[in-house]
Amino acid sequence: MSSESRAPQYEMVNVRAGHVVIEHDVRSRAVRSWFSAEPVAPVEEYWEGRRLWRHWGAAQSFQFDVRDTASGEVIPFRELLGLMWYGCCREDSPVRRIGELAQEQRVSIYVAITYETADGEPTQLPREKAAVLNRLFNDRVRDRSKKILILPDLFGLYREMSYGQIMIDFGLTAIDEGG
Amino acid sequence: MMLQELAQKLDLKLVTAPFDREVGGVYISDMVSDVIANAKAGDLLVTVQIHSNVIAAANLLDLCGIVVTQDKQPGDDVIRLAEKAEIPIYSTALNRWQMATRLYEAGIR
Repeated sequence: MSSESRAPQYEMVNVRAGHVVIEHDVRSRAVRSWFSAEPVAPVEEYWEGRRLWRHWGAAQSFQFDVRDTASGEVIPFRELLGLMWYGCCREDSPVRRIGELAQEQRVSIYVAITYETADGEPTQLPREKAAVLNRLFNDRVRDRSKKILILPDLFGLYREMSYGQIMIDFGLTAIDEGG
Repeated sequence: MMLQELAQKLDLKLVTAPFDREVGGVYISDMVSDVIANAKAGDLLVTVQIHSNVIAAANLLDLCGIVVTQDKQPGDDVIRLAEKAEIPIYSTALNRWQMATRLYEAGIR
């Protein structure tokens, strides 16, 4: 194991605890999620134009910003729902298979899952922000032969994932579940 | 203190292959989001969670290992993933509070 100390370029700031709220439109079946900083996740259904959004679930989570320690610039990450580790993806999925190969080279792949638009359309983390996240987490790693690689959702995981696969506290009460 | 030495002192049962690393501190939590927001590289995570997302968080933050309390046993798939990520998992019959006091008595601050 090789380790060396270097000042991190980025730090996590403005950490806000809250909930990922997941809801679906009763008519179109569109699903969307958003972050609520309320102490208790809202569960009421409501109309928004022609859509009736109904509560589907919630998970404890947090939001944060990232500060450049040199310039002081604060970069918000409000679009980030959570990270999905390759090991939590289906065994026959491309990200799992790529992740297995990468892990043999001591590169751990995570996919950044973002909140949907107001219409429930998928979004992607911009490449520049993915680069910031990569630096943020890699700067913390003590073993320099190990790497974290956070990718935007180039795999279309939003189409097939369940919220339980993301690193948020979905189904926290079900602590007896393994894997 | 190295993790294997600490595990011997506290009679922790190794669940994965051994990966010995220096223990930088301890973080006790059952919430993945809390761990990501607050744990530090090198920390030993004490938790009752055995979901693969705990391994994901430990790996992301470069934690030195995981102690699962109250005799919880992770599944074989979780153990395999932990070994690939070189995250050692130990188990103990103690609860988190008892584990915290033992860690303190062992000199971990």
